Amino acid sequence: MMVDVKPAGDSWYKRAIIYQVHVRTFFDSNGDGVGDFQGLDQKMDYLQELGINAVWLMPFFPSPLRDDGYDIADYFSVHSSYGTLEDFKKFLASAHQRQIRVIIEMVLNHTSDQHPWFQESRSSQNNPRRDWYVWSDTDTGYAKAGINFRDTELSNWARDPVSKSYYWHRFFSHQPDLNYDNPAVREEMWNVMKFWLELGVDGFRLDAVPYLVERENTNCENLPETHAVIKELRRKLDEQFPGKMLLAEANQWPADLRPYFADGDEFHMAFHFPLMPRMFMGVKLEDRKPITEILQQTPEIPPSCQWCLFLRNHDELTLEMLTDMERSYMNDSYAQDKTMRLNLGIRRRLAPLLENDRRRIELMHGMLLSLPGTPSIYYGDEIGMGDNINLGDRNGVRTPMQWTGGWNGGFSVTEPEKLYAPLIQDPVYGYPAVNVISQNRTEHSLLNWMRRILAVRKSTDVFGCGSIEFLYPANHRILAYVRQWRAETILAVNNLSNAAQAVELDLRSYKGNILIEMFGKNIFPRVGELPYLLTLGPYQFYWFRLRRI
Amino acid sequence: MKKANTTDDSILTDELLRQLINVGEVDILIGLPTHNNAKTIGPIVATIQTGLLALFPRERAVIINADGGSQDGTPELVLNAAIDDGRGRSKVSALRTLPVISTQYASSPARGTALRSILAAAELLRARACMVVSPESTQIKTEWLTTLVRPVYAEEFDLVLPTYSRHRFDGMLLTNLLYPMTRALYGWRIREPYALDFAFSGRLGSQFLAQNPWQDETARSGSETYFTLNAIAGQARICQSFLGNREHVERGSSDLIPALRQTVGALFSSLGPHADLWNASTGSQSVPTTGPEVEFTLEPLRVNRKRLREMFSAGVAELESVFQAILSPATLDELRRIAQLEEALFRYPAELWVRTIYEFAAAYHKSVISRDHILQALAPLFRGRALTFLVENRSGSADEVENNVEALCLAFERGKPYLLELWNGRE
Repeated sequence: MMVDVKPAGDSWYKRAIIYQVHVRTFFDSNGDGVGDFQGLDQKMDYLQELGINAVWLMPFFPSPLRDDGYDIADYFSVHSSYGTLEDFKKFLASAHQRQIRVIIEMVLNHTSDQHPWFQESRSSQNNPRRDWYVWSDTDTGYAKAGINFRDTELSNWARDPVSKSYYWHRFFSHQPDLNYDNPAVREEMWNVMKFWLELGVDGFRLDAVPYLVERENTNCENLPETHAVIKELRRKLDEQFPGKMLLAEANQWPADLRPYFADGDEFHMAFHFPLMPRMFMGVKLEDRKPITEILQQTPEIPPSCQWCLFLRNHDELTLEMLTDMERSYMNDSYAQDKTMRLNLGIRRRLAPLLENDRRRIELMHGMLLSLPGTPSIYYGDEIGMGDNINLGDRNGVRTPMQWTGGWNGGFSVTEPEKLYAPLIQDPVYGYPAVNVISQNRTEHSLLNWMRRILAVRKSTDVFGCGSIEFLYPANHRILAYVRQWRAETILAVNNLSNAAQAVELDLRSYKGNILIEMFGKNIFPRVGELPYLLTLGPYQFYWFRLRRI
Repeated sequence: MKKANTTDDSILTDELLRQLINVGEVDILIGLPTHNNAKTIGPIVATIQTGLLALFPRERAVIINADGGSQDGTPELVLNAAIDDGRGRSKVSALRTLPVISTQYASSPARGTALRSILAAAELLRARACMVVSPESTQIKTEWLTTLVRPVYAEEFDLVLPTYSRHRFDGMLLTNLLYPMTRALYGWRIREPYALDFAFSGRLGSQFLAQNPWQDETARSGSETYFTLNAIAGQARICQSFLGNREHVERGSSDLIPALRQTVGALFSSLGPHADLWNASTGSQSVPTTGPEVEFTLEPLRVNRKRLREMFSAGVAELESVFQAILSPATLDELRRIAQLEEALFRYPAELWVRTIYEFAAAYHKSVISRDHILQALAPLFRGRALTFLVENRSGSADEVENNVEALCLAFERGKPYLLELWNGRE
């Protein structure tokens, strides 16, 4: 049964709170050790109670799973481990019944080398699909392009023993890049998107978008031809599926990201990659400078567009968008153990990064949910799950969801050895200590706190839609800003320090307003001519609604 | 920067307190005592900023300017070093903000009061390492941040004092009195007990602040010397770091009395409170030093020896009655005798100089006359000793100058029992 979510205007994504989850990791309904769509469906009540209103699913397509599903071998089906297309449809309906939108991953840039398209392409130089990928007789082309996975790949070219020539890959060598100069490829990828849109998905997170097109003597990123491809997809989307959304994964500087919004005719949303590490840096430095500076460098985007903010995701905490000095500081601060480092990032979850400090976890979420953008929460971070750096690559942050303190953490009834990945078992973050059931029972658990703050976030459109004005109090440990949307004004004040702070805020523009703290709804003194004095405990933050009564 | 009211029992203005609240805890505090230093302060502050960014990029730092009411824009020049968070003020690439505070302390310009404000700020900000830089130290280099601050910040030293490459005739009060007497009394070979560029731990700063030595006028004007002597007395961990060349500053003869108050006055004042310590101390030992302990340069320098000689002789004659209260008859007789010598034969011997100084110290302790008069009376005698030092080292090599200084130090050490005798006999 197809159920449409309640219309919330064309810009529903601005009011969204996204929950990122991999089907495999969430709940195993059939006892084979791997999460599946039926399992995810069974947990939709949990997500509804949490307060999120959009789910972003990582790749669930048939795949050899050499890159956690980002190596797709069939775009029109569901990986058998996760269920069937029918299971997906049921899950989709279940989500929509709960007013939860579903965003799915779409890996446009490359396929698996096991994909039939690539198998055909490599089979013969004369094959009709030969030109669906980027081939060369040498490995010297596009020499100015960087290598993304420099820990594992030496070149962006790989020699194919079958066709005895080289194919282009910006990621792993088992992920050949599609050739977007070929109109047939562009048409087929739109067919893929159309297939899922017709099933009812609400949007796509488009993976690795800067790399779609290659040109000689460039770094092969963010090229005009790539933007043209995206514009074409967007035009078709708007014409045929109005109200659906495109979210860009483009790990770039803000100025380089801005073109992906174009005139509001490319992406609806894009992840703000440079902000994320600077939030961690700001808290560690106890200084708002990294955060305010990157947001000042962030250009205006069209009114219909939105930034997508996140603290953690399925990848490493990327440090690409940092200077060498900043990167070194982040590594020394958050990844002293070098095994925690991967590529140019840190492969850890939120709670371990913040040393399981509840105050810092709350503060980071407070900023995530009050800075301009749509927040994305990585599964398990709402209960403070840990990671396992002994698992290779980024698998340490992709372990099974911890539902209970019992068998397999309530994730699966199978033998532990059959789980797709071992559960976190250490004394601090292991499933006996950190799980949904126990946090449900505790009023002040992180999970229940998350439910409360998400409810407060959803009580207003200001955070999703409003403007921002930084206040710059003389106390640089305090990050303070005013968010405004229509007649509503909210003041957010964050103490980035581990010590109590006093701060004087220049609120003269809001003279006469009463401050109402948004969690307890208590009133604070009226704003006057004098600086507004606030004291904040360590890592404390306030959200105040400004009211003229 | 503006001058604001203080409460009755606080040395901090309300405005300064507000700014300190905004800064919060810091790892490193740089103190700049200033008064009308616009001609020199700009490059000094720029060097400090560069040094902090290059050598302590991750540490929480603050620059505190304690100003004595400059009218030449000095505070504004200091404030330019601030690194703000993106309001277009700073073009410097830095991990964190660098707050700069300029405050005008309440009383009239005095380095002691400035130091007190800096110490108070350091305590309130819980600074781990503090560095004070003279606004005249135009020879400052970014490396000073390493040589002065790092021993405190990373090696648990409490006080880092400078050593310099000096002209052989620069700092003669230091080489002829402060260094040898401090060494003889307290047992540590500290070359610059009156330091204008130095670093200290927050712990030492707080201890000194708690003693509140500023009640005493001498301590107020000679607080840097007092600070060093208190650190010695408190058995703080002290080391020395070589800072390179210290430019020779021409001083007028009128500068000598204030210099005596700031240095010798503080040294003499310290003897009473720390009598048990220096009474028990024998011999001397070196302190850990990075780089050379001292370097003398030998460029020719014009000195009016005739005038020095005249001032000495005139002083001995005019202050006869004062000296009678301070000095023993034998010492005074000897001074009268050398005052009569022709210029070519004039010599103020080390042993006599040591005896003179010890008798002055004892008289100062006993307050036989006004203590300030005692210090002022020392001025002509010092000029006589300076003349002798000039003559003895006129053509000497750097090693020979250092040997002469060392010989004087040993004379002070040998003469120490005489001071003990005077001290304990007159108590």
